[in-house]
Amino acid sequence: MDDTSGTAVVAENLRKRYGGTIAVDDVSLRVEAGECAGILGVNGAGKTTLVEMIAGLRVPDGGRVRVLGLDPRRDRARLRQVMGVQLQQACLHNALTVEELVRLFRSFYPDPRPADEALELVGLTGQRRTRFDRLSAGQRQRLSVTLALIGRPRVAILDELTTGLDPRARRRMWEAIRRLRDEKVTVLLVTHAMEEAARLCDRVALLDRGRLVLVDTPAGMAARAGAADLDDAFVALTGKAPEEAG
Amino acid sequence: MTAVDARRPGPGAWLAMIQCEIKMVARDTAGLVVPIGLPLLILLSASPAAEHVVVNGRTALDVHVLPLVFTIVMATIGIVNLPSFLALYRRTGILRRLSVTPASPAMVLVAQVVVSALQTVIGVGAALAVALPALDAHLPARPAAALGVVLLAMAAMYAMGMIVAAVAPTPNSAVAIGLVGFLAFGALGGLFGAREGLPDALATLGGVLPFGATVEALSGAWAGGTIDPVHLVSLAAAVVAGAVASVVLFRWD
Repeated sequence: MDDTSGTAVVAENLRKRYGGTIAVDDVSLRVEAGECAGILGVNGAGKTTLVEMIAGLRVPDGGRVRVLGLDPRRDRARLRQVMGVQLQQACLHNALTVEELVRLFRSFYPDPRPADEALELVGLTGQRRTRFDRLSAGQRQRLSVTLALIGRPRVAILDELTTGLDPRARRRMWEAIRRLRDEKVTVLLVTHAMEEAARLCDRVALLDRGRLVLVDTPAGMAARAGAADLDDAFVALTGKAPEEAG
Repeated sequence: MTAVDARRPGPGAWLAMIQCEIKMVARDTAGLVVPIGLPLLILLSASPAAEHVVVNGRTALDVHVLPLVFTIVMATIGIVNLPSFLALYRRTGILRRLSVTPASPAMVLVAQVVVSALQTVIGVGAALAVALPALDAHLPARPAAALGVVLLAMAAMYAMGMIVAAVAPTPNSAVAIGLVGFLAFGALGGLFGAREGLPDALATLGGVLPFGATVEALSGAWAGGTIDPVHLVSLAAAVVAGAVASVVLFRWD
C-alpha cells in the first residue's frame, strides 16, 4: 500500500520482543498530518517501545514504519530534519547552561525557532543562565520538550510530556502543544494522564500488554466503554487505574 | 508530501559542538589536575637531571624526563579523560538524545578528540613553558620527528581510550579502567623508573605498549639519534587495534 499525502505516520504490524517478553505485539496505526494522537496505556504496555520504533531508535522484529513517507532507519538523516523527539529521562551536558544547550540544538537545524521564543514556549526564560545540573526535574523536562521542538519539526514525538510537572507548568505545556497544532505539526503524545489526552488529542490509541486495544476519539473511547469520561473508560477497558502507570 | 532534503548540520554545528565540549572540560576542573598539574610536579622534582649532559648537548632532563612528562600528558588525557566523558554521555543518555537530532553522535566524538588535542597542547605547552626558561631544558634535536611522534602517540592514546569507552559500562568504571590501564602501561613503560629494571620479558612488552613506545621514540627525537622503528610500528598498531576494537565494540546507548 502507499502512504497517502495526508498521512504522517504509518505503522504496520509492528512487533518487538525483549528476550521472552513481548513488548509490542502486531500493532498497526496511522496518524494523519496535523493530527495530535495520544498513545495511552499503563507502564509496560509498550508505549515507549512503539514510539521508539517509529522514531528509528529501535529496530522492529517485524512490521514496517513510515514517517512522512520515510523509513526511520534507512532515511535516518532526512527524517531527523523534520522530526522532533523528546525522550523519557534524557539527560543533557550537565555543566552547560540552558542558553548554551539551546544554542547547540539550534545549530543542528536550518531554520530553528529563535532562542527567546523556544524558552518562552515552556516558561524557561528565567533559567537561561542556569546550568543543566542545577535545574529541577520539571525544568529539565520543559527544556527537553522545547529542544525537541526547536527545529520546527513536522512530526513531534513527545514521551511523558508532563510527568513530574506541577499544575501550572503542565498547563503551560498543554498551551505549547495547542500552538503546535495551530502550526499543523503532527504530534504523537505518549501519556497516561487521561486529562491530558482528553484535552489535547484528536484520537487516542490504547495499548495493553503490547496489543492495540482500540483507536478512537477521546469521547468515542469513553462512549464505547460506557463510561462518563476517559479515566473511567481506561479502567473499564484495561482493568487498571491510569495512576498505576506511575 | 513535500520532499525532505538530507541536509547535514554545517560548520556552525560542528563549531557549536566543539565550544560545548570545551566548556564541559573547562568546568570539570578536577579532570585537568592530572594531565596538567602532575607533569609539572614531576618536572620540578626532576630538575637535578638538568645538570647531566647525556648526548648532543641534551641533558638527562631533555632526553628522559621531558619525554616521560609529555607521555603522561597524552596518556592521561587519551586513556582516562576522553573515555570518562564518553561513558558519561552514554550513561546519561546524551548520545541517545543527540541520535534523534540531525547531529550524529559521531560529532561528539570528533569534538571530544579536538578538545583533547587542545588539552594536550596546553599540558605540553605548560611543561615546556616551565622547563625551557626555569630548568634550562632544550628543544628536541629533531623537532619534526618529535612532532610526528607526538601526533602518532596522541592517536594511539585516543585509540586506547576508545577501547576503554567501548567496554566500560558506567562513567565510574571508565575512570577505573582508564586509570588501571594508564598505570599498567606506565609501570611497564618507565613511569616509575627505567624499564631496564624490569624483568626482560616485561621490559620488552613495555617498549611496544603505547606508553613505553612513546617515551622511547620521543627520547630518540630529543637526543637526535635514530628512532627504533619498532616503537613507531607499535604505536601505529595501537591506532589500528583501537580503531577496529572501538568500531566493533562501541555502543551509543
